[in-house]
Amino acid sequence: MKKFKKVVALCLACTMVLSLAACGKKDSSSKNNTASTEEGSTEGSTEQVTIKLSWWGGDERHTATIDAVNKFMELNPDVKVEMDYGAWSGWEDKMSTAFYSSTAADVNQINWNWLTSFSSDGSVFLDLNTVKDTLDLSKFSQAALDQCVVADSLQAVPVSMTGRIFYFNKTTFEKAGIAVPTSLEELKAAGQTFKDTLGEDYYPLVLGEYDRMILMVYYLESVYGKNWVENGTLNYTNEEIQAGIEFIQSLEDAHVTPSIQTILGDGAESLDKNPKWMDGTYAGIFEWDSSATKFRDALNEGQEFVVGDYFKDMGEYQGGFSKVSLGFAISKNTKYPEQCARLINFLLNEDEGVAIMGSQRGIPLSASGLAYCQNNNLLDATVAEANSKILAWTQFQLDPTFEDAKLKGTDGVYYDAFQGLSYGEYDSAKTAKVLADGINDVLGK
Amino acid sequence: MAKNAVDSAVFVPKKKFSMKKTMKNNMGFFFILPWLIGFLVFRLYPFASSLVYSFTDFHLFNGINETGLMNYQEIFTSDKILKALKVTFKYSFITVPLKLTAALFIAYILNFKIKGVNLFRTAYYIPSILGGSVAIAVLWKAIFRDDGLVNTMLGFFGIEGPHWLSDPKYAIFIICLLRVWQFGSAMVIFLAALKNVPEELYEAASIDGAGKWRQFFKITVPMITPVIFYNLVTQLCQAFQEFNGPYIITHGGPRNSTTLMSLLVYNSAFQSHEMGLASAMAWVMFIIVMILTGIAFWSQKHWVYYSDSDGR
Repeated sequence: MKKFKKVVALCLACTMVLSLAACGKKDSSSKNNTASTEEGSTEGSTEQVTIKLSWWGGDERHTATIDAVNKFMELNPDVKVEMDYGAWSGWEDKMSTAFYSSTAADVNQINWNWLTSFSSDGSVFLDLNTVKDTLDLSKFSQAALDQCVVADSLQAVPVSMTGRIFYFNKTTFEKAGIAVPTSLEELKAAGQTFKDTLGEDYYPLVLGEYDRMILMVYYLESVYGKNWVENGTLNYTNEEIQAGIEFIQSLEDAHVTPSIQTILGDGAESLDKNPKWMDGTYAGIFEWDSSATKFRDALNEGQEFVVGDYFKDMGEYQGGFSKVSLGFAISKNTKYPEQCARLINFLLNEDEGVAIMGSQRGIPLSASGLAYCQNNNLLDATVAEANSKILAWTQFQLDPTFEDAKLKGTDGVYYDAFQGLSYGEYDSAKTAKVLADGINDVLGK
Repeated sequence: MAKNAVDSAVFVPKKKFSMKKTMKNNMGFFFILPWLIGFLVFRLYPFASSLVYSFTDFHLFNGINETGLMNYQEIFTSDKILKALKVTFKYSFITVPLKLTAALFIAYILNFKIKGVNLFRTAYYIPSILGGSVAIAVLWKAIFRDDGLVNTMLGFFGIEGPHWLSDPKYAIFIICLLRVWQFGSAMVIFLAALKNVPEELYEAASIDGAGKWRQFFKITVPMITPVIFYNLVTQLCQAFQEFNGPYIITHGGPRNSTTLMSLLVYNSAFQSHEMGLASAMAWVMFIIVMILTGIAFWSQKHWVYYSDSDGR
């Protein structure tokens, strides 16, 4: 009996070890299979290959993308697409390790700054010019494509352009007895009106740390008429940045926006999940056009969400920037670039794919995608209005390092600067110095 | 000469390889082989390589360009990292004693023969399972936000509650409370130890007129000091590695008042991709925990009672 137990235990131990080895074996054998399939495909074989698509987003985007991918597989029986998707929170951390370890999906939805962060030497993403026979790049403007060229390689195809713009809860403004602001002066006046008529808790605009940073850049560009970063160099002096900091602080002082402490005290994960946004206590945001639906849909019933205007009295110039919101890139180590390109082309350029995707990733940059959406009323009216205002107004360019994790992260420079200012730990001069030093550090100056 | 050669050939037996015997002799090794492979690949290799990386400026996407002590210099000169170290010590020195006290107190009560004791034991253990989940983070925020449950209740008594989540003075206590609340596992270990205290000691003490408190401090506590010591060391190690609470409730804020070293290590490694710096911070933490554990082991001869080794 004792001997039997020993034999059983030994068998179990060996099985565990072999199962580990078997995992490796399966992997390598599947590699062999895929390699032979690829070889076969060039000879016209119909053997199915498997590629993987990854993206982040909300539930609506997930549903639309899954449906579109299923349609793609129906029309392309030789390609099986596995899907990996989730919410944005923590997604960048996950993908960075995947890119480093070459375990990322074959096709990846990417943030624009990932091109410089993860593939500044072109080692992570495929040059899409190599698959232009399959992926129709002529549907995209050269200016848009140029924004995705890093290390002389077109590393992604841009899906849409985005920028920040004001959105207001018109219902709360009406309750306060005023119209939605169309100028900075009106916005500042609204702060006091809200306080007097609705109460201390009501604010016409709510700005988190990163929102403050972007609004400050918009203000500075409006006043000084130059890009925030030019040729890899911070284009503003400490004194100029200090003026921007004082502008942001003036909004808090004028009861236009709540303090950071007040927002954190609300205990919400993000502004769109903040009960004070949902019930109209906070009546304005400065957000990406692609985020409009998220904020609009979060509002309680009976409230009207409207797109605001850029303020002409902010300065002499038309401040603000637009940038590629996101793109699709193919991993350089994929075994099936042609199939990957076919999938991207389907999602962005072909009627069947665009019909399902609609404006889930913003207003399409693809000419054919946009035309199909417009002809079939697939564009969300709010997103379309915001996007057209942004593209018509903004004149400045964004450097990709603006979104570097060391600046944008929750323990990054922007958070430190604007929390320090709002908590009263930093004065405007110190805040400007913290910002300038942190940005120069990232820029390598 | 030739005869001698023949003799030696006859008398020296040739060793035969026996698979059965080899298997038998190495049976133990085969049993631990799966664990050993896991340990070498997933523990020892990362452990050793992190030490090497800690002396480099290894960036996930820029590689290694410089070697030296610069990461360690940064750790001891950066305000942010020094603050995180301070917060980590504060967090550990608040949570470990409180958690041990709570666990021992509840275990002591649950050791009495009371009705429905198994239900209470389960109920008190549940937070240990739920503690680090996102659902609990949401619940914690709902309880402690400015207009949350706690401040609403304080409002009934005319007290204006503080900004628990957004005031740097209070936020640290919220994540401490979350950890102390998860005292279940330590409690179960204490409960097992309490059951092993001989009943005769209490009977003798009762006859001598000792009350419950006196019995607790003069009999119970000394008899379970080995378990208190064990819980102290494990809780200390865990407290210094705490990540979930501040990550999901406060994200390290406000003003870095809840940024523990583990959070900073994570941010450096996976957000800024500075693996060299992250490795150095992890090693500093490791050395600190080693020193504190060493102090605990050194101190045990003064206060831990081992009944099976001649008292101490």
